[in-house]
Parts: sequence; structure tokens; C-alpha cells
Amino acid sequence: MAEPLLSVEHLDVSYDGAVQALRDVSLEVAAGSVVAVLGSNGAGKTSLLRAVSRALGSYGGAVTGGTIRYQGVDLAGLDTSTVVRRGLVQVPEGRRVFRDLTVEENLRAGGFTVRDAKARDEARDRVFDLFPVLAERRTQLGGLLSGGQQQMLAMGRALMTSPQLLLLDEPSLGLAPLLVDQIGEIVTTINAQGTAVLLIEQNAVMGLRVADRAYVLEVGHVTAAGSADELAASDDVRQRYLGAAAPERPAAVVVTEPGIPTAEAPKRLAVEGLTVRFGGIAALSEVSFAVEPGTVHALIGPNGAGKSTCINVLGGAYRATEGRVTYGEDELTALPSHRTAGLGVARTFQNISLALEDTVEDNLLVGRHRLMRSGVLASALRTPGARREERAHRSTVRDIADLLGLGPLLHVPVHSLSYGNRKRVEMGRALAARPSLLLLDEPVAGMTHGESQEMAETIRQVRRDLGLSVLLVEHDMPFVMGLAEQVTVLDFGKKIAEGTPAEVQRDPEVLRAYLGASAA
Amino acid sequence: MSDLLRRLGGVALLVVALALPLVLDDFWLQTGLFVMAAAIGAVGLTLLVGVAGQLSLGHAAFAAIGAYVYAWSTGETTTSVTGGGLPPVLGLALAALVAAGVGAAFSPVAGRLRGIYLGLATLGLVFVVRHLLLNLTDWTGGFTGRSVESFALGGFSFSNRDPDYLAVGGVEFEGLHRLWYLFLLLAVVACWLAGNLRASRTGRAWANVRDSETAAAAMGIGVARAKAAAFVVSSAYAGTAGAMLALAYGRVAPDVFSLTASVDFLVMIVLGGLGSVAGAVVGALFVTALPLVLAEYSSALPFLAAPGSGGLDPSTASRIVYGLAIIAVLVLLRGGLAGAGRRLRHRLGGGGPSGDAGTTDPDTPGPGPTGRTAPASGTTDPSTPDGSHPAAVTHPRSKETTR
Amino acid sequence: MSYFLTQVLNGLSYGLVLSLIAAGFAIVFTSTGVLNFAHGSIVLLGAYLVAVLHPTIGFWPAMLVALFGAALVGVLINALLVRNLADPEPGAAAILMLGVDIVLLTELTRRIGNQVLPVGAPWGASVVRFGDIALPTGRVVAAGVTVVAFAALWYLFSRTDLGVGMRAAAADGPTASLMGIRLSRTAATGWALAGVLAAVAGVFLTSFPSPGVAPTIALSAFAAIPAWVLGGFDSVPGAVVGGLLIGLTSALVTGYEGDLEHVLGAGFGEVAPYVVMIVVLLVRPSGLMGSKEAVRV
Repeated sequence: MAEPLLSVEHLDVSYDGAVQALRDVSLEVAAGSVVAVLGSNGAGKTSLLRAVSRALGSYGGAVTGGTIRYQGVDLAGLDTSTVVRRGLVQVPEGRRVFRDLTVEENLRAGGFTVRDAKARDEARDRVFDLFPVLAERRTQLGGLLSGGQQQMLAMGRALMTSPQLLLLDEPSLGLAPLLVDQIGEIVTTINAQGTAVLLIEQNAVMGLRVADRAYVLEVGHVTAAGSADELAASDDVRQRYLGAAAPERPAAVVVTEPGIPTAEAPKRLAVEGLTVRFGGIAALSEVSFAVEPGTVHALIGPNGAGKSTCINVLGGAYRATEGRVTYGEDELTALPSHRTAGLGVARTFQNISLALEDTVEDNLLVGRHRLMRSGVLASALRTPGARREERAHRSTVRDIADLLGLGPLLHVPVHSLSYGNRKRVEMGRALAARPSLLLLDEPVAGMTHGESQEMAETIRQVRRDLGLSVLLVEHDMPFVMGLAEQVTVLDFGKKIAEGTPAEVQRDPEVLRAYLGASAA
Repeated sequence: MSDLLRRLGGVALLVVALALPLVLDDFWLQTGLFVMAAAIGAVGLTLLVGVAGQLSLGHAAFAAIGAYVYAWSTGETTTSVTGGGLPPVLGLALAALVAAGVGAAFSPVAGRLRGIYLGLATLGLVFVVRHLLLNLTDWTGGFTGRSVESFALGGFSFSNRDPDYLAVGGVEFEGLHRLWYLFLLLAVVACWLAGNLRASRTGRAWANVRDSETAAAAMGIGVARAKAAAFVVSSAYAGTAGAMLALAYGRVAPDVFSLTASVDFLVMIVLGGLGSVAGAVVGALFVTALPLVLAEYSSALPFLAAPGSGGLDPSTASRIVYGLAIIAVLVLLRGGLAGAGRRLRHRLGGGGPSGDAGTTDPDTPGPGPTGRTAPASGTTDPSTPDGSHPAAVTHPRSKETTR
Repeated sequence: MSYFLTQVLNGLSYGLVLSLIAAGFAIVFTSTGVLNFAHGSIVLLGAYLVAVLHPTIGFWPAMLVALFGAALVGVLINALLVRNLADPEPGAAAILMLGVDIVLLTELTRRIGNQVLPVGAPWGASVVRFGDIALPTGRVVAAGVTVVAFAALWYLFSRTDLGVGMRAAAADGPTASLMGIRLSRTAATGWALAGVLAAVAGVFLTSFPSPGVAPTIALSAFAAIPAWVLGGFDSVPGAVVGGLLIGLTSALVTGYEGDLEHVLGAGFGEVAPYVVMIVVLLVRPSGLMGSKEAVRV
């Protein structure tokens, strides 16, 4: 048997000499094959890629054991630039195109190591053949491309070196199903042209479809390996990553009456003719919908449809260009952003935004800000009033932590929490503000099927216990369909459908724009 | 446990500080006064830079305002300068208040800009204030400055007179001794207030603004107001420090409050560790005392030449040692002296609370706003319960959290 | 009228020299995220090297050594100190540079002492006349050299691999390094470029009408900070515009000081750039030509 193109043996990786990310990981990539590595967030997938592409050092990580051989050569001691010159290129997670450089300049940067002008021109032509849309937009800034186009640019950028082994980190992350299918096809095409691919995926459906072999990585080590078909057929993998098993409702969590003062009754959120433009480009045009008090409402749509823009306007982070948003009697669009919270609207962020060095308790307390009164003077002097207030709110925050199952972690700094728990802390912080409307921006992005089910249960529970309205933006269709009562679908900044999950799923316009042919 | 240790340590330090005037000579007393004045300025600046994440190069300008307000309001009108003739206590309060007021007047700028951008805007403030000090000669005395009335409370003067003779334990308490206790009281109160602020609703709001303005606004924190408040508070500290410097020197002149003085304040808090009150005090001690001590003992140090002889004179030597110390601390010590101290305590005192470290996740992208890369989130820094924040000044190019 | 024109031309040529320094701030800032407070000392270092070396090896060789020396110092500062910061973040880097500035400036001040060293530029104190307007030849040469320097910079950043690589590295270092771009090299190039620009500016700042090299030059290089900020932090063209604006403002305020003094006070020329900077920052926080990020959700 020929030597594999890449072989990783007994690899250990740790960060800052303390946190072990990978333990005894071994895998092989044969020349010309596609290998997928599946696993949930925090499994160590990205660390694996960084170890192979020699980029660990700049993230404070180091290989502490084992070997990585590429084309028979031990990579220890080589830097990224050297392995790129030998035909091993990584496409980073989250695309990371150079936003202020044009498409052409992005590609030029990608071909930085290619000194031969002719080879470079050929590579660029191949990229433009593969992604005609990039050729059309060659003089535009990378930052103005849509999410899918940015993914294409990121892959095209890597192909400029005509690599033998392409490392792809979560190419489907944050993309709508239709685009995921497309990216999958592109991976197959690239592979057919002779490039081996090592693919890191959370989206197991996509990963297993394009791969020849696959590995499952959990908490830093390989728990399953085999041909893609074998793994797709394995019950364990099906259940954990493909969501094949019927979504069983976990037994209802028995909640003792929480000591959280209930919010005011939720009001009706009405969005009327909302338009948002960024430098001439309309991210949202004339969107109208309403969230009825006490319901769970989902906002879905392909990447770049304007969902995040919409939730950012509601949360006060962006200004509306035209149109208005009212919550009950109050007009949100007329208020400065920090006043939104005062009306009982609280939100979470797509990229978790917590104070990492502070404890869970202190992070939750920030949510109480609007309900506390101590000013600078009272705070500085620690007046009896301020101390009393602090004590009372700390005790409320403990109840909220208990409600979310964070009680035991109250005094733990956030940076040592798992991803799922950090998402929970963020939700806790929003709940601490005693909202009557909760805005959730991609609450399960980056979670496995199992984790997202837990999150769905948590959302149901807080809605039931606290009686609030929830508006969420999400890509994960099973999650949305199992949770929302009403769904609004956006595409290219416009509303294209609205209704119950069942209605929306049948809507031909939605199927075309969002779910893609394969789901129809 | 470690909390108790800290408190005991604090009490011990305070006892030592109270006893020191009994044994120190005038040089060391004078040095101590400068250190305590600088410490108050540094503590104010660490609230702004370390806690609220806003860089300021204009701290000396506010110190100047405090110093001149004190000098003017307590001074008498003479042929060359005017004066308010107010009681010194009132002058001291005015110094803090007027500095805070000017800080508030600057708040449209302070509220809108952030991080390094604000730092550069405040750089301009130093030059503007200097220009005013040189030109408003009736109030300031121009380039040569003006003299400063000594502090007094009731009939008790913090100078060598009124009472002419005062002794404790056989040591005669002159102006320097008396000022020592006044300054010590002010310093302790300033540190206590700053510590309270950091751990309060206000402090949390500032830190949240530092980490992500968008997230802070979503929690109902008025971002511009929080930044302006941090700026005003730090200006008040600077004003107090300025008035104390004026008292310690007995004279005010524009050159005391140059850009170098602003830089010195920044260096103090960085050496000490951003956001740490104790660190700011230690930084003030180092930065203030080093040049004075080197100059005083230059004759005893063989490698130093006499001033003007062309060799390495004490002030040059102290500048170079000072510069090298800044470089060494920034290159060698994470989180400044306070960070090093915390790590040491941790090593001696056993572990703090640990997280669900089994699932600690180095892959998770950091939260973004400070532009920190992923490993920051994966680091199990043992030193967090009273943690000061290493990444305080946001990179202007960093993206906001919302996308 | 010719007085006014002379002031304007003086201001513009001085502004171009400032823009060389401002561009150095911008390049270091974009390539390594460092607010380089030691830049003024590097300007002084360049001028000092020329002043010390020209009597023995002649002006032009001395100039070459100065360019090389200033570039080298920049590269070494970056490689030995900035890259080894314990907390690699912009605030710490800025203060590190304050430390470097103190060391460099103190040492140079000690060496220069109370002297004012002539740089020995071949154009000396000669003057070029356009009708009844007289400009120092040095200023005219400075303007010409600056224009050539900026044309070269534009070519570098938009037409060469190295330049595009540097911009990529500035925009997103970790990602650029995945393309095989060595960040240590793009950073070193940025620091070297800034050093070269600083040395050139240093020579022009210290030749006629300025008496020569004195430590205060490092401080007048500080006046390039408002120019840089006005232009918008990450923009080299912005640095040119900012430099011209600041040059013009100080020349006019100084030129008409007699008329302005009773309103603005003596010596307002030194303060004017900072006042302009504060006002512009209030209106446009990202400067006149700073990049507003391309927004797309």
C-alpha cells in the first residue's frame, strides 16, 4: 500500500501548556481522497487542522506528542509558509476573506507563495472557471460579497497555490442549506481535479456525503473511524450528529417556583416597513411582521437574507433607514440603543459576548444593570442602600443560574466554561434583565444536534416559567420547526413567506430559496 | 483565605505608612509625598484605562487644572497674579470639582471616541492646557508659574508654622510630616473609593463597555454616558493629585504638567497592571521614586558622573533605567506587577475555583470585541476572582460583536 | 498677497515633510497594530546619523547609512520587543513604544548635548525664487522627494505581491499566514519602510531654515500625529492630506501670529494642529480618509 499523503500519529496538542485539546489522535489522508472529521464544538477539530497547517503557535498552542507526516516528511519544525509552498493549504473557519481587498487582490494574496507568473495566471483562471461569480465581481471588495460568495473566495484563495492537500475548516458553517449543497459539490469538483481534501465539519450530513472516509472526534480524541458509508450507517453517529432519531421530548424538568420576579406582561412587537441600507446596499427592504405576546417567533432565511440585520435593529445596535418598530406603545426605532433594554427587550449575541475573566455571577449581574439604581457616588461610597441592592440582586441572579442549571458554576470564571455553558450564561444574562421579549441571535450555532435539543428545551422552559415572547434567528431548521409557533422567512432582505412551521415548510417560494432542490 | 491575607497585608502596610514619618529624613518624606500624589492620579487613570478601556494621554492636563485651581483659589492677589483667598479645604475640593467639570465638558469627545482614538484626542488636551497656562498669566503666572499657599485646617497649618513646634515620640513634626498624614488619608480614601467602584454596578458597566459597546448597550448601559462618567471620575482623581503635587512642591509651573507627566501616569498603571488599584500604587511608587533616589544617591553609585560633566549623569541614568524598566515589565510580566503578584499568590496559596475544565474548549472563537484570539478563551488563567483585565484598550480595527 | 502665498507654499512643503512622518505612523499601525510613540526618536536618529557622518563620508553616503540605520532600528524594535510583548495588545504596545522612545531620546539627547549639529545638506541655505516668492531650496527638494516617495508607496501597495501581502497581513494576520505570507517579514518591511521615511523626514526637518539637529526635532515630529489622525489611522493617502492640512494650518497661524495673538495667545501655532485634530475627531471619529469597514450582514 502506498504511503498516505498525510498521516497523523498519536498527536497530542495543548494550549498554554495547560489545556489539552487533542489526545492521541491518529488519522490518514490518502492522496486524492476526501476525509471528513466530524465532531461538536470544542472537540478539537480546529486544533487538529492548525497542528497540520503549523498555525498552532500563533494561537498559543503546541504539539506535545506524536508526529505529523506529509508526503513522508515529518512536519515538526516547519512553519506555515513552508508547508504552503509544499502544497498543503488551510481554509480557515468563518471564511475570513480580506474585506478591504478586492476579489482579485484576495486571490493575489492567496497566491503569494507562487513565484511563477504563468503558474499563477493558470491557477487564477482555474479559480474563475470553478467560481464564475468571482470573475464577475473581481474588482469588488471582499467584504461586500455574500456569505456563500465569501466562502467561495476563501476556497479560491487557497486554490491559488494549486495545493495537493486542502484543509477545509467548517465550510458550511452559517450557510443556508442550498448553499451547503453547492459547497459540497464544489468540494467534490476540487477533489476530482486531483486535490485531496481534509474536511472539518459539524454538519455531518454534508461531511459524510462528500467524504470517502470519516473520523469522529470527541473531547480531543477519535471515537469512531471508518468509511463514510459505514459511519453514516452507525446508530451512534446517526443519533448524535444526524438527528435521525425522533426528537424525543426529554422528561419535563420539574422547576420549583424560581425566585425571579416575573416580567411585565409581554406586548406585541410590530415591525412596519423596515428598511436598512449600508452604503447603498439594502440589507433589508420594507419588511413587516409582528410577534404576538407570549409566542415563540422565528426569523429564518438564507445567509445574507438580513436576519441578523433585523435582530440588530430590534436590539438597537443598528439604525433603521426607514420604517418603524414598535413594542406595545413604544417606538423602538426612535430610542437610543441602551433605552431598548428599559422596555423589557433583552438579547443574546451570535458570537458570545461575555466578560471572560469574570465569574458567571458577575456576568449575570450585568443583566441586572437596568434594574439597579446605584450611581457612581453611591457605588464609590458603598452606601447601605447600594450594599442592600447589591445583595438583593446577587440573590436573584443565583435563582436565574439555578433555573438554567448554572448554579454550581456561579463562582467560576467564564473562560473555563464549555461552549454550551457560555451560551447558557449569555441567555441567563439576558433573562436577568427581566425581559418580556427575548431576542436570540443564532442560539444553537455551532452546537451538535444533542446540544441544540437541550437548548430548545431550555428555551421552552423559560418561556413557560417566565411567560415571555421569544424572537429567534436561526439556521438549524429542525430546531426552528420544533420550537417556533410562527415563522417569518426572509430572502435578499425581503419577506417571502410567513406562517406556522408546517405552512412555511410547504411554501414553494421557501423551498426554492431556502431549502434547495434536495429538500423539495 | 486569600481575602483575609490581603486584608492583613493592607493593615500592616497602613501601620508602616503611619509610622514612617518617625524615622524618615526630609528627602524621603518629600519623596513619599510625591509618591502619594502620583498614586492618586494613577488610581484614577487605571479606572479609566484599565476598567473602562479608554486610553488617555491627557491625565497631566487635568492634574494641571487641579493644581492651578488650588493655587489660584487659595492664593492671595499680588501685583503679578490674582487669587481667590479661599480656605485650603475648599480649594482642594474645588480642584477636584473643576477638573471633573472640565472632564465633563470634554465628555462629548470622551463619549464618542474609544480606545486609542480617545488617547490621541486627549493628547491634544495636554497641548491646549499648556497653551492656556502660558497665556493666562493673570491667573497662572505664565511660564514661571506661581507659588502655592500651604494647606491648613481650622487653625492647624500643614507647614512649619502654626503651631511652630509639634513633636510626636521625640520627633519634631514639621510641614512635611504633617502633609504626609494628610496625603496618606487622601490616598487611602481614594483607593477605597476606587476599589468600591470597580466591584459595583458602575464598575461592571464600565468593564462591559470596554469589552463590547454593543453588548453593553443591549444590557441597558448608556455607553457614551458610562465612558463620560469614567472620564469625569478619573479627571477628579487627576485634579486632586494635581493639587497635592502643588502642595508638595510649594509652587506650580507649566513644565510640571507636560506630556511626559501624562506618559508617567500611564507607565505607572501599566507597570502595576491595568485595572488594579494596588498595582497603580506600586507603579506610582516606582516611577516617582526612581529618579529622585538615583539623583540623591548618585555620588554613592560609581558609574554615575556629576551633572554637566558629559558622562552618564543621574537624571539621564534614571531616564534610561526608567525606559528599560517599562520595556522589561511589558516584555516579561503578563498583567504587570499585579499580574505577577497574583500568579505568585496563587502558586503559594493553592488553586482558586475551577471550571468544568474537562470540556474546556480551545476551539471556541473568542468573543471578538477586544480582538483577542481564541487561546485567550481557552487559557486557564488561575488568577481570576479578583482579576484585572489584560486586554484593556480596544484595537480600533476590531469588529463589534454584532454581525 | 505674496506674503500669503509664501506662507501657503511654506506650509504645503512643511506639510509634505510631516506627511512622510505621518505615513510612517500609518504603515507601522496597519502592519503591526502598534501606535509608534518612538517614531519621533527615529526621525531624530536619522537626522543625527547624517549630521555625525557627513563630515567624514560626505552627505549622500551619510544619508544612505541613515536610511539603513533608521530602518534597522525599526526592524529590531519590532523583532526583539514588540513581538515578545507579554500581553500582545495595542495599549501595551503603545506604552512599550513610550519606553523605547524614552531610552532612544535620552541617549540621543545625551550625545547631542547642547550643540546644534548641521546636517550638511548640499543645498545649504540657498533659496529658490518664483517671482517675488522665495522658498528655501531644501523645502523644494523635500516636496519633490516626498511626491516621488508617495508614488513609490502607491506602486508598492497596489501593484506588487509584497504590498498586497502586507495589506492582507494588516487586515487579518492569522489568515494571511495561512496563505504562506510570513507575518514576521511583512511586519519587518513595514517597520523598515517607516524608518526610511522617518530618516528622510528627519533630514528635511533639520536642514535650512532649521538650524540643525537638536533633540527638539523629536518633539516636532510629534506634530505629525495630528496629521496622521486627521488622515485616518490606516490610510497612507490620508497621511498626505492630513500632513498638508496641518502644515498649512501651522504656517498660516504662525505667519499671522501678530494679528491673532490678542485673540488666541502667543505661540498658538504649536497648538493649532491639536485643536484641528480634536475638532475633526469630533465630527469624523475615523478621520478624513480612514476606512469605514465594508458592512455586510
